[in-house]
Amino acid sequence: MELFRYATSIYGGSDMLVGASWGLLKWFVAAGVACIVVHAVLKAVTSRRVHGSR
Amino acid sequence: MSVSAAKLSAAPAPGRVRRHLLVDRIYHWLMAAGVLILMATAFLPIIGYKFEWLGLHWTTGVAFSALVLIHIVRAVIWQDFWAMMIDAMDIRNGWRRVARVLGGSGPAPGMPGKYNGLQKLYHAGIAVLVLATVVTGLMMLIKIDTPWWRRNPYVLADYQWGVTYAVHGLAAMALITMVMIHVYFALRPDEWRLTRSMFRGWITRAEYDGHHDKQRWAADEG
Repeated sequence: MELFRYATSIYGGSDMLVGASWGLLKWFVAAGVACIVVHAVLKAVTSRRVHGSR
Repeated sequence: MSVSAAKLSAAPAPGRVRRHLLVDRIYHWLMAAGVLILMATAFLPIIGYKFEWLGLHWTTGVAFSALVLIHIVRAVIWQDFWAMMIDAMDIRNGWRRVARVLGGSGPAPGMPGKYNGLQKLYHAGIAVLVLATVVTGLMMLIKIDTPWWRRNPYVLADYQWGVTYAVHGLAAMALITMVMIHVYFALRPDEWRLTRSMFRGWITRAEYDGHHDKQRWAADEG
Protein backbone atom coordinates (compact mmCIF):
# COMPACT_ATOMS: atom_id res chain seq x y z
CA MET A 1 0.00 0.00 0.00
CA GLU A 2 1.50 3.30 -1.14
CA LEU A 3 0.98 6.33 1.08
CA PHE A 4 2.11 8.90 -1.46
CA ARG A 5 2.32 9.49 -5.21
CA TYR A 6 5.71 10.23 -6.76
CA ALA A 7 6.81 11.46 -10.18
CA THR A 8 10.15 11.28 -11.89
CA SER A 9 11.95 14.62 -11.81
CA ILE A 10 12.72 16.12 -15.23
CA TYR A 11 16.17 16.92 -13.82
CA GLY A 12 16.84 13.29 -12.93
CA GLY A 13 17.71 12.12 -9.45
CA SER A 14 15.24 10.80 -6.90
CA ASP A 15 11.47 10.75 -7.41
CA MET A 16 9.47 13.82 -6.40
CA LEU A 17 6.53 13.75 -4.02
CA VAL A 18 3.40 14.91 -5.88
CA GLY A 19 0.61 14.07 -3.42
CA ALA A 20 -1.21 11.45 -1.37
CA SER A 21 -1.88 8.06 -2.91
CA TRP A 22 -5.50 7.75 -4.07
CA GLY A 23 -5.25 4.05 -3.27
CA LEU A 24 -5.82 5.11 0.34
CA LEU A 25 -9.35 6.21 -0.52
CA LYS A 26 -10.84 2.76 0.07
CA TRP A 27 -9.07 2.52 3.45
CA PHE A 28 -10.57 5.78 4.67
CA VAL A 29 -14.02 4.54 3.58
CA ALA A 30 -13.32 1.24 5.34
CA ALA A 31 -12.31 3.15 8.50
CA GLY A 32 -15.67 4.97 8.43
CA VAL A 33 -17.55 1.70 8.00
CA ALA A 34 -15.52 0.12 10.85
CA CYS A 35 -16.29 3.01 13.23
CA ILE A 36 -19.99 2.77 12.42
CA VAL A 37 -20.15 -1.01 12.85
CA VAL A 38 -18.15 -0.98 16.12
CA HIS A 39 -20.34 1.77 17.59
CA ALA A 40 -23.57 0.11 16.48
CA VAL A 41 -22.51 -3.22 18.01
CA LEU A 42 -21.33 -1.59 21.25
CA LYS A 43 -24.61 0.33 21.53
CA ALA A 44 -26.65 -2.79 20.90
CA VAL A 45 -24.69 -4.79 23.50
CA THR A 46 -24.74 -2.09 26.19
CA SER A 47 -28.44 -1.28 25.71
CA ARG A 48 -29.27 -5.02 25.96
CA ARG A 49 -27.22 -5.13 29.18
CA VAL A 50 -29.10 -2.10 30.58
CA HIS A 51 -32.51 -3.50 29.60
CA GLY A 52 -31.56 -6.94 30.90
CA SER A 53 -30.63 -5.57 34.34
CA ARG A 54 -34.05 -3.90 34.78
CA MET B 1 -40.11 25.97 49.14
CA SER B 2 -43.59 27.35 48.60
CA VAL B 3 -46.43 25.14 47.37
CA SER B 4 -46.54 26.86 43.99
CA ALA B 5 -42.77 26.53 43.56
CA ALA B 6 -42.92 22.84 44.47
CA LYS B 7 -45.73 22.31 41.94
CA LEU B 8 -43.69 24.10 39.30
CA SER B 9 -40.54 22.02 39.87
CA ALA B 10 -42.50 18.74 39.95
CA ALA B 11 -44.63 19.47 36.91
CA PRO B 12 -43.44 18.18 33.54
CA ALA B 13 -41.74 21.17 32.02
CA PRO B 14 -43.53 22.16 28.84
CA GLY B 15 -42.04 23.99 25.92
CA ARG B 16 -38.93 23.96 23.91
CA VAL B 17 -35.31 24.86 24.47
CA ARG B 18 -33.43 26.69 21.77
CA ARG B 19 -30.32 24.79 20.66
CA HIS B 20 -29.27 26.41 17.39
CA LEU B 21 -30.01 29.89 16.09
CA LEU B 22 -31.22 30.22 12.49
CA VAL B 23 -27.88 31.71 11.42
CA ASP B 24 -26.03 28.68 12.82
CA ARG B 25 -28.37 26.24 11.09
CA ILE B 26 -27.95 28.05 7.78
CA TYR B 27 -24.19 27.96 8.31
CA HIS B 28 -24.29 24.21 9.04
CA TRP B 29 -26.26 23.34 5.93
CA LEU B 30 -24.15 25.62 3.70
CA MET B 31 -21.06 23.85 5.08
CA ALA B 32 -22.70 20.47 4.40
CA ALA B 33 -23.48 21.46 0.81
CA GLY B 34 -19.93 22.78 0.39
CA VAL B 35 -18.33 19.60 1.74
CA LEU B 36 -20.47 17.39 -0.52
CA ILE B 37 -19.69 19.47 -3.63
CA LEU B 38 -15.98 19.53 -2.77
CA MET B 39 -15.91 15.77 -2.18
CA ALA B 40 -17.86 15.01 -5.34
CA THR B 41 -15.65 17.23 -7.51
CA ALA B 42 -12.50 15.83 -5.87
CA PHE B 43 -13.20 12.12 -5.74
CA LEU B 44 -15.68 11.28 -8.54
CA PRO B 45 -13.03 11.90 -11.24
CA ILE B 46 -10.59 9.72 -9.27
CA ILE B 47 -12.98 6.78 -9.18
CA GLY B 48 -13.75 7.07 -12.87
CA TYR B 49 -16.50 9.67 -13.42
CA LYS B 50 -14.61 12.14 -15.60
CA PHE B 51 -15.89 15.73 -15.91
CA GLU B 52 -14.58 19.30 -15.74
CA TRP B 53 -14.25 19.39 -11.99
CA LEU B 54 -11.63 22.04 -11.30
CA GLY B 55 -13.75 25.20 -11.77
CA LEU B 56 -16.54 24.04 -9.49
CA HIS B 57 -14.01 22.68 -6.98
CA TRP B 58 -11.96 25.82 -6.51
CA THR B 59 -14.92 28.24 -6.53
CA THR B 60 -16.71 26.10 -3.94
CA GLY B 61 -13.44 25.91 -2.00
CA VAL B 62 -13.14 29.69 -1.88
CA ALA B 63 -16.75 30.03 -0.66
CA PHE B 64 -16.14 27.24 1.85
CA SER B 65 -13.02 29.00 3.14
CA ALA B 66 -15.03 32.21 3.63
CA LEU B 67 -17.66 30.24 5.60
CA VAL B 68 -14.96 28.72 7.81
CA LEU B 69 -13.52 32.18 8.48
CA ILE B 70 -16.98 33.54 9.36
CA HIS B 71 -17.53 30.58 11.69
CA ILE B 72 -14.21 31.12 13.49
CA VAL B 73 -14.93 34.83 14.03
CA ARG B 74 -18.50 34.10 15.14
CA ALA B 75 -17.42 31.30 17.50
CA VAL B 76 -14.75 33.43 19.13
CA ILE B 77 -16.73 36.68 19.45
CA TRP B 78 -20.46 35.89 19.59
CA GLN B 79 -20.82 32.23 20.52
CA ASP B 80 -19.81 30.40 23.68
CA PHE B 81 -16.36 29.33 22.45
CA TRP B 82 -15.65 27.22 25.55
CA ALA B 83 -18.86 25.19 25.10
CA MET B 84 -17.02 23.26 22.36
CA MET B 85 -13.71 22.83 24.22
CA ILE B 86 -12.97 19.52 25.97
CA ASP B 87 -12.67 20.09 29.72
CA ALA B 88 -11.78 17.98 32.77
CA MET B 89 -15.41 17.00 33.35
CA ASP B 90 -15.69 15.62 29.79
CA ILE B 91 -12.57 13.51 30.36
CA ARG B 92 -13.89 12.25 33.70
CA ASN B 93 -17.29 11.42 32.20
CA GLY B 94 -15.64 9.72 29.23
CA TRP B 95 -13.50 7.59 31.52
CA ARG B 96 -16.51 6.58 33.59
CA ARG B 97 -18.46 5.70 30.44
CA VAL B 98 -15.62 3.53 29.10
CA ALA B 99 -15.36 1.77 32.48
CA ARG B 100 -19.08 0.99 32.37
CA VAL B 101 -19.00 -0.24 28.77
CA LEU B 102 -16.17 -2.59 29.76
CA GLY B 103 -18.37 -4.02 32.48
CA GLY B 104 -16.90 -2.16 35.45
CA SER B 105 -18.86 -0.51 38.20
CA GLY B 106 -18.24 2.87 39.80
CA PRO B 107 -19.94 6.23 39.63
CA ALA B 108 -22.20 6.96 36.68
CA PRO B 109 -20.94 9.52 34.17
CA GLY B 110 -22.44 12.96 34.59
CA MET B 111 -24.56 14.62 31.94
CA PRO B 112 -22.87 16.89 29.41
CA GLY B 113 -23.43 20.54 28.72
CA LYS B 114 -24.59 21.57 25.25
CA TYR B 115 -22.13 19.13 23.64
CA ASN B 116 -20.80 15.86 25.04
CA GLY B 117 -17.13 14.89 25.09
CA LEU B 118 -17.25 12.82 21.91
CA GLN B 119 -19.00 15.62 20.02
CA LYS B 120 -16.25 18.00 21.14
CA LEU B 121 -13.57 15.49 20.14
CA TYR B 122 -15.23 15.09 16.74
CA HIS B 123 -15.36 18.87 16.31
CA ALA B 124 -11.65 19.18 17.19
CA GLY B 125 -10.79 16.47 14.66
CA ILE B 126 -12.86 17.92 11.86
CA ALA B 127 -11.55 21.43 12.64
CA VAL B 128 -7.96 20.22 12.13
CA LEU B 129 -8.86 18.44 8.87
CA VAL B 130 -10.93 21.32 7.49
CA LEU B 131 -8.24 23.87 8.35
CA ALA B 132 -5.62 21.65 6.70
CA THR B 133 -7.68 21.40 3.49
CA VAL B 134 -8.55 25.11 3.51
CA VAL B 135 -4.97 26.33 4.04
CA THR B 136 -3.46 23.94 1.48
CA GLY B 137 -6.37 24.52 -0.92
CA LEU B 138 -5.88 28.28 -0.82
CA MET B 139 -2.16 27.75 -1.46
CA MET B 140 -2.99 25.53 -4.45
CA LEU B 141 -5.06 28.37 -5.95
CA ILE B 142 -1.72 30.01 -6.82
CA LYS B 143 -1.14 27.20 -9.32
CA ILE B 144 -4.32 27.81 -11.33
CA ASP B 145 -5.58 30.71 -13.44
CA THR B 146 -8.37 32.67 -11.76
CA PRO B 147 -10.14 35.94 -12.67
CA TRP B 148 -7.77 37.68 -10.25
CA TRP B 149 -4.34 36.29 -11.12
CA ARG B 150 -2.39 34.11 -13.56
CA ARG B 151 -0.97 30.85 -12.31
CA ASN B 152 2.48 30.94 -10.78
CA PRO B 153 3.85 27.51 -9.82
CA TYR B 154 7.26 28.94 -8.89
CA VAL B 155 6.21 30.43 -5.56
CA LEU B 156 7.16 27.15 -3.84
CA ALA B 157 9.77 24.51 -4.65
CA ASP B 158 8.58 21.22 -6.16
CA TYR B 159 8.94 19.27 -2.91
CA GLN B 160 6.99 21.99 -1.05
CA TRP B 161 4.14 21.68 -3.55
CA GLY B 162 4.35 17.91 -3.10
CA VAL B 163 3.89 18.26 0.66
CA THR B 164 1.03 20.75 0.13
CA TYR B 165 -0.80 18.36 -2.24
CA ALA B 166 -0.16 15.39 0.06
CA VAL B 167 -1.60 17.18 3.10
CA HIS B 168 -4.62 18.35 1.05
CA GLY B 169 -5.28 14.84 -0.24
CA LEU B 170 -4.82 13.04 3.08
CA ALA B 171 -7.01 15.53 4.98
CA ALA B 172 -9.69 15.36 2.27
CA MET B 173 -9.76 11.56 2.37
CA ALA B 174 -9.93 11.61 6.18
CA LEU B 175 -12.93 13.94 5.85
CA ILE B 176 -14.77 11.12 4.04
CA THR B 177 -14.41 9.01 7.20
CA MET B 178 -15.58 11.93 9.35
CA VAL B 179 -18.60 12.69 7.16
CA MET B 180 -19.64 9.02 7.22
CA ILE B 181 -19.50 9.03 11.04
CA HIS B 182 -21.40 12.34 11.18
CA VAL B 183 -24.20 11.09 8.93
CA TYR B 184 -24.40 7.83 10.90
CA PHE B 185 -24.93 9.67 14.18
CA ALA B 186 -27.40 12.07 12.58
CA LEU B 187 -29.51 9.10 11.44
CA ARG B 188 -29.41 7.16 14.73
CA PRO B 189 -32.83 7.25 16.41
CA ASP B 190 -31.28 8.00 19.83
CA GLU B 191 -29.61 11.11 18.38
CA TRP B 192 -32.62 12.23 16.36
CA ARG B 193 -33.34 15.13 18.73
CA LEU B 194 -29.99 16.67 17.73
CA THR B 195 -30.69 16.19 14.02
CA ARG B 196 -34.14 17.73 14.46
CA SER B 197 -32.57 20.68 16.28
CA MET B 198 -30.32 21.30 13.28
CA PHE B 199 -33.45 21.62 11.12
CA ARG B 200 -35.83 23.36 13.52
CA GLY B 201 -33.53 24.90 16.10
CA TRP B 202 -34.96 23.39 19.29
CA ILE B 203 -35.11 20.37 21.53
CA THR B 204 -37.96 19.71 23.89
CA ARG B 205 -37.74 20.68 27.54
CA ALA B 206 -37.91 16.95 28.43
CA GLU B 207 -34.95 16.21 26.13
CA TYR B 208 -33.02 19.05 27.73
CA ASP B 209 -33.80 17.79 31.23
CA GLY B 210 -32.96 14.20 30.30
CA HIS B 211 -29.72 14.72 28.42
CA HIS B 212 -28.03 17.89 29.66
CA ASP B 213 -26.50 19.28 32.84
CA LYS B 214 -28.19 22.64 33.50
CA GLN B 215 -25.10 23.87 35.32
CA ARG B 216 -23.02 23.32 32.20
CA TRP B 217 -25.56 24.56 29.65
CA ALA B 218 -28.03 27.20 30.76
CA ALA B 219 -30.35 27.00 27.79
CA ASP B 220 -32.76 29.62 26.47
CA GLU B 221 -36.45 28.90 26.12
CA GLY B 222 -37.27 28.50 22.44
